[in-house]
Amino acid sequence: MSSMQIGVFSVGDVTADPTTGRTPSEHERVKAQVAIAQKAEDIGLDVFATGEHHNPPFISSNPTATMAYIGAKTERIVLSTATTLITTTDPVLIAEDYAKIQHLLDGRVDLMMGRGNTGPVYPWFGKDIRQGINLAIENYALLRRLWSEDVVDWEGRFRTPLQGYTSTPRPLDGVAPFVWHGSIRSPEIAEQAAFYGDGFFHNHIFWPASHTQQMVNFYRQRFEHYGHGAADQAIVGLGGQFFMRERSQDAVREFRPYFDHAPVYGGGPSLEDFSRQTPLTVGSPQQVLERTLSFREYVGDYQRQLFLIDHAGLPLKTVLEQLDLLGEILPAMRAGFEEGRPAHVPDAPTHAARVAAAGGAHDSTVHAVDGVTGQLAEADERASA
Amino acid sequence: MTRLVVVSAGLSDPSSTRLLADRLSEATVRALGTPVDLEVVELRPLAHAIADHLLSGFPPEPLADAITAVERADAVIAVTPVFTASYSGLFKSFLDVLPQGALAGTPVLVAATAGTARHSLVIEHALRPVFAYLRAVVVPTGVFAASEDFAHPALAERVERAAGELAALLGAGTRDGVRRPADAPRSFDEQVAEPTPFEELLKRASAAD
Repeated sequence: MSSMQIGVFSVGDVTADPTTGRTPSEHERVKAQVAIAQKAEDIGLDVFATGEHHNPPFISSNPTATMAYIGAKTERIVLSTATTLITTTDPVLIAEDYAKIQHLLDGRVDLMMGRGNTGPVYPWFGKDIRQGINLAIENYALLRRLWSEDVVDWEGRFRTPLQGYTSTPRPLDGVAPFVWHGSIRSPEIAEQAAFYGDGFFHNHIFWPASHTQQMVNFYRQRFEHYGHGAADQAIVGLGGQFFMRERSQDAVREFRPYFDHAPVYGGGPSLEDFSRQTPLTVGSPQQVLERTLSFREYVGDYQRQLFLIDHAGLPLKTVLEQLDLLGEILPAMRAGFEEGRPAHVPDAPTHAARVAAAGGAHDSTVHAVDGVTGQLAEADERASA
Repeated sequence: MTRLVVVSAGLSDPSSTRLLADRLSEATVRALGTPVDLEVVELRPLAHAIADHLLSGFPPEPLADAITAVERADAVIAVTPVFTASYSGLFKSFLDVLPQGALAGTPVLVAATAGTARHSLVIEHALRPVFAYLRAVVVPTGVFAASEDFAHPALAERVERAAGELAALLGAGTRDGVRRPADAPRSFDEQVAEPTPFEELLKRASAAD
């Protein structure tokens, strides 16, 4: 496994192609995500992450079904989320669902916690957006216990209490999926990631570099403060965004209508201003390579780089071409990330490495207790044998 | 050094809004009688940046500087022209992109200009409510100037009175030391400089309402 994971993350928006006016169907878009993930594996990427949304124009509800399906059609790529809504999803279901696909995919799974910024989703799921931070903190504290303790008694503010609850299946090999926490602007979430020694992911693509730097540095300092290692050993992930063609002027010409009409920034800053202010790179493969390798200058050596490539109505064919181009510069990108990387900077976390660090795999199956004898069923068998 | 920030939303150059803003800041500096670090934020050159911020969610550089200036101000003088019976859209858009709590506890002098005296209550029915929402401390005297007021000595008296009130409010010291409410939302920079320890966040998360 390489020290740096490179991959793609997909929001799953259904957006009209502004150059043709054609809007893909939900079905096409759902299948497109699968095709993109398979292609990502083909070109040698390490991670495919899907978003989670519960409203049109997105097709990204039920991320674990997507991950399981993609997992069945791939062999190597790690499936992740960007993000899993820790605020409005019951942490008990998160514990079960992600442990389940961890087993199905033999550990090729991790996840990223996020709060979600779609106002109505909170009331639809019976929550209050003003409690977003508190929900993220309390729900995640419960989720950790559900994965680390076989039997949980729990009482909190946001969810019905639990008595004698066992989340099944137990995490694969007794090691829970690795967790990233994503936040653009909330120091509380960076603090949370640092406290637990989890990963911190900065979306990076909608904000100036100075801001990403500030958040990542804060997380790194707090990671050290909580005794998980030196600041430069904290586990950092970044977003990125590019559009490339062999000749940079072709890239700009082709991408501009998509940029100008993109739901997130259309009508706002010009493509040129936005490219200067944020990591968006529209140009030749060489330009994308150089820009990407420059991220380390302000966040330090890090562990995961995810690119947003399928959005704003870009047709699947174009997205797959973008992946081909990424595949061409991938070896140079990996080599660039290795260059000057100190040995004490940790590799990107994987299930295998985490199992090894935990002293090897152990079966964490919880066996039911016999209601009459109060003993484990197999203990009874042994006794009668 | 008192940090006094003047926000002027006039659109023409020269503008009567800026003229009124300058008279208010000069009078405030005189009334304070101590060294003042005066910064004028003209919104017109920031108009595109403000629109970009509304759409992209982050402030381009010159706007980021203006927002920081307002956040760090010990006192603010806010002056807007009256458009369609209220503060101008540009003025309100600037307030809309300020971070939560940016003006909490900040002494503010509000003023407005208009073509006709019929708009004089705009201070009371538009400006005061919005600054009350922002938890600013607005001085009792608001200054309204219709075009014709610029020929009337009563405007100067009103300017002096409002400036005197702002200076008096500032007299006890600066915002950080004295007037900032204990429960005002902390800015991003404040949170990063002095993080809330996670144990405290955890306790708060599950605390009853």
